Amino acid sequence: MGGAGFACCSRCANLPPGSPNSAASDPADFMFPAGPAVGAMAGFAAGPAAATGFTTGATAARRRLLKAAVFRPQAELVHSERHADGDDPAPGDAGSQTAGFADVRQLPRTVWGTIRDISPHVLELGEGDRVQRFALPPDAVAWCGTQLEPASLLQGDQAIVRLSPSGRNVADRIWANIGRVTGIISERSGNQLLVDEGATRKTQVIALQPRSLGRIQVRFPTLEPGYLVDIIGIRKRDELIGMIPATSQPAYPAQRLPAPPLVSGRVPDSIAGSATWHEPRDEPPGILGVFYPALDPETACAEDLAGGVRQGYSRMPYLAIGSVLRITNDCTGSSCLMPVTGCAPIGRLFNDRCVTCGTSPRGRVADLTPASFIALGGELERGCFNATITIGG
Amino acid sequence: MTVPQAIGEVQIPLLAVMLLAGCVTKTLQMVRAGSAADAVGPTALFPIYLRRPLAIVLCLAEGGLGIGLVVTATGFGGRVAANGIRFGSCLLFFVATSALIELRQSRPDVGCGCFGDFSTAPVSGRTIARSALLTAAALATIGAGPVTAPRTTAGWFGLAAILSAEVLLIGVLSPEVGEGLVRLGYSEPCELRNVPAARTLAVLRRSKYWRRHAGLITSDAPADVWRELCWRYLVYPARYEDRQADLVFAVFLQRRRPAVHVALVDSSTGMPLEWPAGKERSRRPRRAVLPGPRRELAPAFTQVQAQSAAGDLPLSSDL
Repeated sequence: MGGAGFACCSRCANLPPGSPNSAASDPADFMFPAGPAVGAMAGFAAGPAAATGFTTGATAARRRLLKAAVFRPQAELVHSERHADGDDPAPGDAGSQTAGFADVRQLPRTVWGTIRDISPHVLELGEGDRVQRFALPPDAVAWCGTQLEPASLLQGDQAIVRLSPSGRNVADRIWANIGRVTGIISERSGNQLLVDEGATRKTQVIALQPRSLGRIQVRFPTLEPGYLVDIIGIRKRDELIGMIPATSQPAYPAQRLPAPPLVSGRVPDSIAGSATWHEPRDEPPGILGVFYPALDPETACAEDLAGGVRQGYSRMPYLAIGSVLRITNDCTGSSCLMPVTGCAPIGRLFNDRCVTCGTSPRGRVADLTPASFIALGGELERGCFNATITIGG
Repeated sequence: MTVPQAIGEVQIPLLAVMLLAGCVTKTLQMVRAGSAADAVGPTALFPIYLRRPLAIVLCLAEGGLGIGLVVTATGFGGRVAANGIRFGSCLLFFVATSALIELRQSRPDVGCGCFGDFSTAPVSGRTIARSALLTAAALATIGAGPVTAPRTTAGWFGLAAILSAEVLLIGVLSPEVGEGLVRLGYSEPCELRNVPAARTLAVLRRSKYWRRHAGLITSDAPADVWRELCWRYLVYPARYEDRQADLVFAVFLQRRRPAVHVALVDSSTGMPLEWPAGKERSRRPRRAVLPGPRRELAPAFTQVQAQSAAGDLPLSSDL
């Protein structure tokens, strides 16, 4: 049941073997690798998960198993071990729900690595000793601060490459050196911002280019200490050259959040908002998962342990590492089941809207890894897409 | 008093209340945020350096006009002052209507900010219609005399009817009303309620399921605790027929008589086990404690992970 459920995960597990930079290069990197491997990664670790804010697929898989066991009649489980595609009374469990999944072969896959060589027709991407070549169709585009011809990229650029669903080794989109910093400004010195991304991440430096400053300040009018900021740009050594405001955030200090909207009665099954992406720091870059803004504060987030639980703007149902969400890109219609792999302590402070297609309700409902974001049809340089999450799928 | 006269007189207190409410809520928002630049709304149409002074000017204008409408309604300052204030109100609402139309097109993500934090919903046709209605209402007051009390009961009823109808209309056109009603009658759903794990443990200990199965448990602290929606799950290491097992409890997060589900699963495979027939009942239930924040993995799970890596375990997809 799990394999069919985690559509995107199955997709990425099918990446070409030996790929230098794809999630398939190391099965242990997957949150949920191919369906059959889900159960194999048994075992869980509440402590480590809480301490790092990130955990492996083992936790998620184990918890799903135990939840299924506790909400099903014992006899049924014992006597029909291998026929579990029937009813599923576990609240929020999407394990047996397979209807409506996207065709995994039609979803974009992602690889990443260092550009070894690039010509108008071929991209050579490497990581260590491993090199892989990708064909570049005429309509392939690249981004490195702005839209470029792929051939304009340079050797040594760090690239995230979206592979065309139509071809095995055909790249249709390349993002070079793209980076993103989302956090609270801790210090400003001229056009440099020091940004606190949370207790478990190191402080980030954003260098604001004079030509980009006006554009950024349209969306983030107050670039002063204590205010939230979310900027996309080019990674250059340890700093980010700020280019684009990732979203549009009302200016208020992070310590003075507006009152979140109240929810009465039953919490809706589906919650709309914006889905963003984050740079992978202490997680494998190709991991497929989602950081969720409302993990149970009792057991969840390293940020909460370090700095105390801070109520965010998003009022969303409490979940845990390993809970399953269906995330739908409202702009493209792409949809995918993904496990919760971490908390989004900064993301939950934002009450921005995504305007990629129409205007989303306020608040961030999911903070995705780049691989997940691209798999769901997102364009990294846009920063977000209008999304709807359904708990349990 | 004629009907047009009555309509004109009703507008003055109504407009004054609207203007003063706008001023007060904007002020509260600025005080809470610690900056006038944090106000949203039509100021987003202007360059950044103008937003702060514009927000302050707008707030002061609303407050001044609201007070002015009340003061001049009694005849204070004469007809010129009264009409000046009323014309100013009309102009303010007219400019606001135009700004909202522009805001809706250029910044569809921004709320109108008319009533501070209450007006965070994106500008809609309702918001613009309300502003246009207030413009018309302010226009109707220009040239009207001082507000006088009706001399007859029928006059009072007439005024009340006009006032009620207009308040109702403004309410229908105001997205802020829904937000206010939600805040008044709020009861937090269990999915959003922060429930301490210690309370869940206390509830579990009082349940018959704990008393019935606690004899199987081999550790005081659960190996894993997590929550999804209204359920909290607690996993205890257990031993059953010389096998390592896990006792999994699911506790519904409510104070009184919560539902509890329990399962016994094989520790290494995660597969459910048959309940022992009457053996597991403990004479004295174990003491339940919470796990430490960085509790190490139970040895059984370390073993499980090693087996997992070797691919020896059955698969959840096979369940």
